Amino acid sequence: MLDICNIYKDFGSLKVLKGVSAHVEKGEVISLIGVSGSGKSTLLRCMNLLETPTFGEVWMEGKLLTQPDPYLHPEIIRASKTFEKLKAAGLADEDAIRKIKKEDLLHEKHGAEGKGYVRLMKEFYAANHLDANLARQKMGMVFQQFNLFNNLSVKDNITLAPVKIGTAKLKQAIREGQKTTETKESIKAAAEKKAMELLARIGLEDKADSFPASLSGGQKQRIAIIRALAMEPDVMLFDEPTSALDPEMVGEVLDLIKELAKSGMTMVVVTHEMGFAREVSDRVLFVDEGYIKEEGTPEEIFRNPKDARLKDFLSKVL
Amino acid sequence: METFISNIIRIMSRYGHVFLLEGVAYTLLLSLIAVAGGSVLGALFAFGKRGKIPPLRILINALVEIVRGTPLLLQLYAGVFILPRLIPALNELPDIVSVSVVLIINSAAYVSEVIRSGIQAVDIGQTEAARSLGLSERTTMWNVVLPQAVKNILPALGNEFITVIKETSLASTFYVGDLMTSYLKVRGNTFLTLECLTIVGILYFILTFTLSKLLAAAERRMKHA
Repeated sequence: MLDICNIYKDFGSLKVLKGVSAHVEKGEVISLIGVSGSGKSTLLRCMNLLETPTFGEVWMEGKLLTQPDPYLHPEIIRASKTFEKLKAAGLADEDAIRKIKKEDLLHEKHGAEGKGYVRLMKEFYAANHLDANLARQKMGMVFQQFNLFNNLSVKDNITLAPVKIGTAKLKQAIREGQKTTETKESIKAAAEKKAMELLARIGLEDKADSFPASLSGGQKQRIAIIRALAMEPDVMLFDEPTSALDPEMVGEVLDLIKELAKSGMTMVVVTHEMGFAREVSDRVLFVDEGYIKEEGTPEEIFRNPKDARLKDFLSKVL
Repeated sequence: METFISNIIRIMSRYGHVFLLEGVAYTLLLSLIAVAGGSVLGALFAFGKRGKIPPLRILINALVEIVRGTPLLLQLYAGVFILPRLIPALNELPDIVSVSVVLIINSAAYVSEVIRSGIQAVDIGQTEAARSLGLSERTTMWNVVLPQAVKNILPALGNEFITVIKETSLASTFYVGDLMTSYLKVRGNTFLTLECLTIVGILYFILTFTLSKLLAAAERRMKHA
């Protein structure tokens, strides 16, 4: 479903991710754990392109969401001028590629690597690319700070994206001359019906016309979750969903996420709640110093950690 | 003191219409033109600055910095005297038009900063949440960011209006009929400098004070909305 290939992320001189690869299977629940500043949130935000990786590729169901990363494709490197130069200097094929990858020798300006290289990059992009906006429609995200739209009522918070995206698609269809029974009104009505169903599911129908400012943290976060669900995502990303909550509200939010996990939703969760990670995850990734230092089932990670830093981390949080 | 006050009363009864019908009217008109035109142009500037066309961004930034970094009086001189020399076609324009244009550009520079900071003050999480749902940059801006930014922008825009009312006094340098121009006129007829200045001062104060109270009331109402 999701493939993270050799992601690097720099913020200026700060290197946050240093080559991270991960694979998320459909229906799988993955927890990312690690100390603050280890890069786990950045990794999650790279998955839906809220952060653009410096190097590396993100794939969703066989579609490329980022720019192609030439370092992942030897055939593209072979077309570069840098490669030619190294060959001319007497390096063997494999050695030249290894040297380019290791020392990051490719020019940032693609033009400098010659026409063949640029053409291959463009072809690869055209053949595989999916627009980030389209991809995000199928990737829900829940934030630490809830981020409900303060200017909209609860119901409008939930319906905004389905209505806007639905009508945009409708307009597109009409432009292309397709026949459709949908109208702007029917899209809006369907979105509202769905919003009320989702609100009923979390027992907050009576808050439909309230504004976020009048809600508790737990209510806000649960609404943020169903707002993401309203888009019928294939995968949900949670960025420390309970870290900003008062302790008495953590339970209600975790229960909703657990329920979601049981319903077979594919999920990636950044969390400090070790008990929760242990209970719901199929796989736990320990992120540390910009790498995935260890990964395994909750049993393996919590019962039998191998990495020294992981042992240290667990001894502090458990 | 008694003569001072009776002089003021005499001036007002004789020249009241010059201060009120000409002076106040022109000052309000000029301010309104400056703020209305400045808001529209300032909004365009603000979006140009955030936009993706680097030459346009640089041009707008340069203009804003020049306007903010030089005295308005100098800009007025430039608009009324210097530009018509460079572009002869502008010679035909009445001074009040040149003055209005300069005031609009001046106000636009400040308004663009007000709008930019108003947009920036909206929590980045709002944008991220909208983008994470797959909404485009444009939809995010119009439906999520701008409605929240307006609450930051409107009060600051009101302050800009008050500032502009006071700054139009500089337009009197070109005798365009504003409140300060009426002061020059009446003083020329009566030779009563202090009295005339007092009248003008009070009128400016009434204008700005009323406006700031109105704005405060509007702001209170907006908080509830």
